[in-house]
Amino acid sequence: MTAVPADAMAITTRGLTKRYGARPALAGLDMNVPRGIVYGFLGPNGSGKTTTLRLLVGLLRPDAGSIEVLGQPFSWRDRRRMFRIGSLIETPSFYPYLSGRDNLRVFGAAGPPTRPERVGQVLSGVGLADRARDKVKTYSLGMKQRLGIAAALLSDPELLLLDEPANGLDPGGIVAMREMLRNVTAEGKTVVVSSHILPEVQQLADVVGIVSAGRLVSEGPLTKLLEATGHVRVRVRPDEMVAAAPILRALAADRPLYGVDTGAQAGWFTVSVLPSRASEVNRLLADAGIHAMGLEAGNDLEGLFLQLTQATSAATGPAPLPTSSGTLGPHG
Amino acid sequence: MRLFSAELLKLRRRWASYIVLIILLGLMSLVYLLIGVSGRGSGGGATFISFPGSFGIINQFVFGLGSLLGVAYAAAIAGADWNWSVFRVAIARGESRSRYVLMKALAIAFVLLIGVIIAYAVGLLLTYVAAGLAGVQPGSLLTRNRLDDVARSLYLGFPVLIERAAIGFAVAVLLRSQLAGVIVGIVLYIGESILAAVLIGITLADQGFDGIGRLGMQWYQFLPFSIGDSVLSATTGLGGDDITSFILSPIPLNTALIVTAIYLAAALGVAVVAVERSEISG
Repeated sequence: MTAVPADAMAITTRGLTKRYGARPALAGLDMNVPRGIVYGFLGPNGSGKTTTLRLLVGLLRPDAGSIEVLGQPFSWRDRRRMFRIGSLIETPSFYPYLSGRDNLRVFGAAGPPTRPERVGQVLSGVGLADRARDKVKTYSLGMKQRLGIAAALLSDPELLLLDEPANGLDPGGIVAMREMLRNVTAEGKTVVVSSHILPEVQQLADVVGIVSAGRLVSEGPLTKLLEATGHVRVRVRPDEMVAAAPILRALAADRPLYGVDTGAQAGWFTVSVLPSRASEVNRLLADAGIHAMGLEAGNDLEGLFLQLTQATSAATGPAPLPTSSGTLGPHG
Repeated sequence: MRLFSAELLKLRRRWASYIVLIILLGLMSLVYLLIGVSGRGSGGGATFISFPGSFGIINQFVFGLGSLLGVAYAAAIAGADWNWSVFRVAIARGESRSRYVLMKALAIAFVLLIGVIIAYAVGLLLTYVAAGLAGVQPGSLLTRNRLDDVARSLYLGFPVLIERAAIGFAVAVLLRSQLAGVIVGIVLYIGESILAAVLIGITLADQGFDGIGRLGMQWYQFLPFSIGDSVLSATTGLGGDDITSFILSPIPLNTALIVTAIYLAAALGVAVVAVERSEISG
């Protein structure tokens, strides 16, 4: 990623390293989270996502490396900085014998001063106002998750760290959460969402970081990532393939263009462009008098994710994979 | 202050706060009623159900059994924060680890103080009930001497109880577990009593004790749970909460209080150092 002023970043880590005994959890993580966006922190189980989040709120001490949070160097004893962070790390944790409201009241008493009316506001915000007086032990997993998000929002933080926030939420809850996080970033705040569920991050994130085996293997704007993995498949008559190829090649620029000229799949071209350009593909062919027999669009983010993470997992040493936003994936 | 209030809210809503007191009051009531009923007509046990002798039983319950329950209670409260992983929520919000632990300990001490006052008041009431059942005169509580006895029992007994509870608290924080804290706390408490009894036996054998007078002070009277016996022996009534007080010379009160305070501070210090140094991965 190109150099950006420090205060434009919500989080910057350099060479962040953490070991649990002999097992490395983070092996030199370089992470850049710009302010005012949703950052999708992707990685398979055990890749170091939760460890990173724990380091960012001072629950753990790094073995090596540096962390900057909200434009300033951060140490694990930097309580004032933590006042500006809201977090939901791992499973939501509460006093089961207290009501949802009382749990937020007691959490609000720790850390930054919290206005009493804020408890009611965040409970309404996550749709738990009508169950606020019930004991948490009677809550479903999804309700606990919502309460965890409410607790993270309690001090109206500038930076929100959410570990698998959609865990246990029903579809309605996921949509509501997505909307709420969009509202949070609309206020200029930053949200980091850690997940191993690609579609969830794809619908939420502006910038994505992919971590594997304790290293960041890819990071950049989601649009770039989707561009790298996006494709449009178009089918023309086999005898029109020769005429269609230069048009499609021009569209794909320096990206690869695949065509099948024999067999049952003959006539199919795969063009490496954003799926949103499917109509443009169709129009350009039509302008040249070539009428598409079939048109499909999509992207293979999952394929890229697997490629990046499995490559790193298989490697015993540091992963020699690109991390700049310009080289997010295979360009052919 | 808001952290202290939050801790009190948690303790107020927690069943353990009431169960511990109910156990203590239940057992104390049972013993008093048995003494009262068994002494009916004969006046037997009159010493224990009239003042000042009754203070001995009350002190045994409130500060003897109460200490054991206090150890378990403090360990349960401290350990629960780890079991439910709520400690990490407070720390991730930027709360001071030391302050969080000390406020929790202070809130527990406050609840124990309320429990001690209630238990003591019930003990005094039970003295009248048992005396009534046995048909003996309990004597007046409302004299200067008796009220001094009550005050002395409370201000000497309470530090002992919270020092012992603080050890349970520290054990649970160190072990980061509710169950382990309660079990290890109780085992330490009972284990030290057994150890002290064995050591007393060895001392008696070594020194050829003839049952007259008391032996001199022994090092094991300074152990964390035993030190309180020397403090409690200065209260009115039976004096002390076990046989040690009859055989061994108690440690001078001021010394015993200072040592008790040192153990209390050390227990809290251990808890603070443990949370300050610990990494919270669970």
